[in-house]
Amino acid sequence: MTVLAQQHDGPGATTAPGPRRRLLGLVTALLVLSALLVLSVLIGSTEISPSVVWNALFHPSADIDQFAIRDYRLPRTIIGLAVGVALGLSGALIQAITRNPLADPGVLGVHAGASFAVTVAVGVLGIREIQGYMWFAFAGALIVTLMVLALGSTRQGQSPVVMVLAGVCVGAVLGGAREAIQLTDPEAFDAMRSWNAGSIVGRPLDLLWPILPLLAVALVLALAVSGPLNAMALGDDLATAQGVHPARTRILAVVALTLLAGGATAIAGPVAFVGLMVPHVARWIVGPNQRWIFVYSILLAPSLLLASDIVGRIVMRPGEIPVGIVTAFIGAPVLIILVRRNKASGL
Amino acid sequence: MTETRRRGTALAAALMGVALVLTACGGNDSESTTDTAAAAKTRTVTAGNGAVEIPAAPQRVVALGNTTQPFIDIGGKPVGVTELSASELDPIPAEQKATYEAATKLGADTAEVDLEKLAGLKPDLILVQVPDDEFEGIKKQLEAVAPTLFWGLDTEWKAFADALATAGNLTDSLSQQKTQFTDKIAKIKATYPAIIADTKFVAVDRWDNSDPGTFVISDFGCIEIAQGDIGLNAPKAAAGADPLGWTNLPFEQIAGLTKYDVILYPVDAAGQPKKAFAPVVESNTWKSLSTVTSGHALGVFCPGNNSYGPVLQYLDSLDRALAALPAKK
Repeated sequence: MTVLAQQHDGPGATTAPGPRRRLLGLVTALLVLSALLVLSVLIGSTEISPSVVWNALFHPSADIDQFAIRDYRLPRTIIGLAVGVALGLSGALIQAITRNPLADPGVLGVHAGASFAVTVAVGVLGIREIQGYMWFAFAGALIVTLMVLALGSTRQGQSPVVMVLAGVCVGAVLGGAREAIQLTDPEAFDAMRSWNAGSIVGRPLDLLWPILPLLAVALVLALAVSGPLNAMALGDDLATAQGVHPARTRILAVVALTLLAGGATAIAGPVAFVGLMVPHVARWIVGPNQRWIFVYSILLAPSLLLASDIVGRIVMRPGEIPVGIVTAFIGAPVLIILVRRNKASGL
Repeated sequence: MTETRRRGTALAAALMGVALVLTACGGNDSESTTDTAAAAKTRTVTAGNGAVEIPAAPQRVVALGNTTQPFIDIGGKPVGVTELSASELDPIPAEQKATYEAATKLGADTAEVDLEKLAGLKPDLILVQVPDDEFEGIKKQLEAVAPTLFWGLDTEWKAFADALATAGNLTDSLSQQKTQFTDKIAKIKATYPAIIADTKFVAVDRWDNSDPGTFVISDFGCIEIAQGDIGLNAPKAAAGADPLGWTNLPFEQIAGLTKYDVILYPVDAAGQPKKAFAPVVESNTWKSLSTVTSGHALGVFCPGNNSYGPVLQYLDSLDRALAALPAKK
């Protein structure tokens, strides 16, 4: 494990922004995230005054509006934060492992595995509550990613290209099987509609607590492999020459991203674009150093998720739009603009 | 698709159609004689698919889609039906349940009807209520088997009951239900005139497939009957707008229900909150609503709103709920 702790600045370090710009960006990202956390508690589908929000948090009483803050907005904000961190970091990991700036956890079959398992839970076993099928989603994501990891292993070790191909193939097969079940059981499809769209509404904190330790372990693992992943960007041979163990690094990275993406998907469903877009933006700001990309992704991804969720609460009042739909609406054009302006942030 | 394949598909479809017609027309001689005698007397009935000539006294009726439960409710004895869900089947009376069980199940819904099995039942009348596009998909196959009457989902429930009774020659049993309904409405109106005139009601609901953490303000189903026939003042969508019940509202909007005098929420036959609605009742926001703490949240049982039997059960439940309403301060 000492290898994992070695310092690597990564390729392109000479062209990367200086430490001052990185730190300034980091502080800005932190401030934006903090502001969005506050706004997420302040803004909802009903008007509740800031003084009530303050009292709900610091002088709790049985006031009906205070319950709305403590029981719905606060848990939703905390879950949005955790899901955002997990999605952003898992996206950064998969892009680093595959050296593909257009990869997201979905290419390893995480979403397909989770969706298939939820379809089985809902359609075959009749489980309709998210508290029940959440664990199927997590297990499905985990099993399928491990399967893809095994399929992507060659005699020379794990090949990113073979892993991605295996992920796409397994994803296609499971997607077909999922649709077959849903077509024969429209009620199951209907019950999964909200989860499929990607939403954080109505998720109690009880859903998050059992998954939080796994996310924490994955976070530590991800930060630990960030240095070795920098070295591997130069190629496995050069990385090995620097004392990095590519196969071990990839396995640890895949375990971390599976826990992160599987956990996030289990709670919120497949939320599009966050895992793809945020590491991209982070790379544009800080350059190719994975350690910085990871840290920025941890701050920017929950910001995007919370901002999208806030937008979803207010644009269709009194109803709401699931966050997964808003991230796709906001994320896709923003990503296109960024890519066109900055000639893409390659790895 | 290549020309050869297109021809192959067309040939297969044609063979299937011929097979269905042959199956429908098949049978032994004695049955054919009986059929001919029954078919001798016919009458013309108008439904959503136009004027259709049907037997005067149909003996072998198949009820598909939303016609299954209402047809049984007015005393019909179908030989074949599409399946009812557990929630539809639970509240219906035992003798109606026995009728349903005795009928041949033709599929989970009309889109999945086993046409070969249906033709094998040798029906003399087929009743269908499904979405228009779904009917278009099977119209020809059904009409090849027996005279078919179709109604769209927008058919008003009383007109639908009348049409089913006319088609099935069951107008006598329907008229009894209509009398009970009229009497019940009159009784409620006479018993609670002040409540009906001065109270702002709201009906809330939550479905099995509702998004987690959401509920709806309901303006269709049983509440439409309470609004239209009794005159309860409850929210409904503006003309031309989508029904309010189509919009999932997050739980934090439960607090907004305080602006109504009385909340009607769904309960099961035993009076317990409907399973899907239980998360609303268990929320702190619901428990702290002044409407709830003052006893102005009333559980009402709505087993269905597409025929008189379930509607009468709903009206009984509403009557009991209004009787339990605390005096207005």
